[in-house]
Amino acid sequence: MGLSELLTTYGQDYLTALVTTWWMTAVAFALVMVLSIAITVMRVSPLKPLRVVGDFYVQVFRNIPGVALLIIIVYALPNLRLVLDYRTCVIVTVILMGSAFGSENFMSGINTIGVGQIEAARSLGLTFTQIIWKIVIPQALRSAVLPMTNLLIAVMLSTSLGSQVPMSPDELTGVVSFINTRSTGGILAFLIAALGYVGTAAVIGLVGNRLDKKVRILR
Amino acid sequence: MSLNHTDEIPVIELRHVDKHYGDLHVLRDINLKVSRGEVLVVIGPSGSGKSTMCRTINRLETIDSGDVLIEGKPLPKEGRELAAMRAELGMVFQQFNLFAHKTILENVTLGPIDVLGMKRDEAEKRAMELLARVGVAEQAQKVPAQLSGGQQQRVAIARSLAMNPKAMMFDEPTSALDPEMINEVLDVMVELARGGMTMVVVTHEMNFARRVADRVVFMADGQIVEEGAPDEFFDHPKTQRARDFLNSIKGH
Repeated sequence: MGLSELLTTYGQDYLTALVTTWWMTAVAFALVMVLSIAITVMRVSPLKPLRVVGDFYVQVFRNIPGVALLIIIVYALPNLRLVLDYRTCVIVTVILMGSAFGSENFMSGINTIGVGQIEAARSLGLTFTQIIWKIVIPQALRSAVLPMTNLLIAVMLSTSLGSQVPMSPDELTGVVSFINTRSTGGILAFLIAALGYVGTAAVIGLVGNRLDKKVRILR
Repeated sequence: MSLNHTDEIPVIELRHVDKHYGDLHVLRDINLKVSRGEVLVVIGPSGSGKSTMCRTINRLETIDSGDVLIEGKPLPKEGRELAAMRAELGMVFQQFNLFAHKTILENVTLGPIDVLGMKRDEAEKRAMELLARVGVAEQAQKVPAQLSGGQQQRVAIARSLAMNPKAMMFDEPTSALDPEMINEVLDVMVELARGGMTMVVVTHEMNFARRVADRVVFMADGQIVEEGAPDEFFDHPKTQRARDFLNSIKGH
């Protein structure tokens, strides 16, 4: 199958898949950020049980292969009477993995904040919660822009796990599998999908760099 | 400037304060009273425990035993009560410790707005007055990294003053500064002292101590070895330890 034939036959499917990939990426990444912040707050909290749980979470989800995690979620959760549709399973997988890495990004951002600033905040009478929200998180967010840009790209690429389960509509990698089971798109079918990933990643990288320049903290 | 009035409750009081770092006994039975309006200067060789003592006053350092009293009330151990008590005490650090992501103005308004619940425009108006008082009003919209060390330290003083503190602690406020910037910070502190602020100042600036202190406390090896009026202490130190220390810093 040539390029023009691929595009005329499956062009619409590719477009739908690209939009699906974008949609899944956006939803997953938004929740990755929320969960990353929550996990990170646990990991720096004064309560030891919270720190232990936070560290444990990161160790677990940073070290499970995505496909293995997806299989667990798809096949194990129904035994707990929790049946999610396939797309949700993929998004949950990506969120669990992504937030483990996201929390690590925030932790390294937090480590750039001098202990002196925290002491200054305490001596002004700010409570732990206020220090977290007013001093720690804003600085951690701003110094984590570049690693989070990378994470966003990784989250997008991880949505290709969707090709391992039946989804409708498919995301980019899923649509390639679909094409290659019906006809022989070969490497070309993959290249078209790759173009979607690379193009999106380039835009993410560009925006991330700009944002970093704008919010980076002078030290 | 008042001297010790025995009938008045001291603003700051340390009673039998002890602290260890592992085997190291960093504070040994520290007893200290600071009266309202008094300027107490703490000097001593490095490692004598003077900074540690200063930091126990608002519990940035915990203590093993003894009591820290603020206006006669024991310092709470933790939580909101401790935070509320800290809000009433100013602290200026060696490394300035301004909030790197906030403008100079925001550094000064953070405490009043978020801790005291002051309205933003009121807090900003007051912050600008304080920044003018310490001579950095024109820097209000910059971030800390754009200021010199001396300017940053003056902002840090304004940030503490914005809380209307009952007393202020200065933990070696000029030790991290280039020599030409020391005086601009000391000038602000002199003005504060003249204005009647209760101050505990840990410093190596002997001229400042002689000029401004109501009382000098000399620490060595975690103990208060000697205390007295500045002229008396500098001209006629009673202990050999203090004489050795004063000799070691003389003649430069």
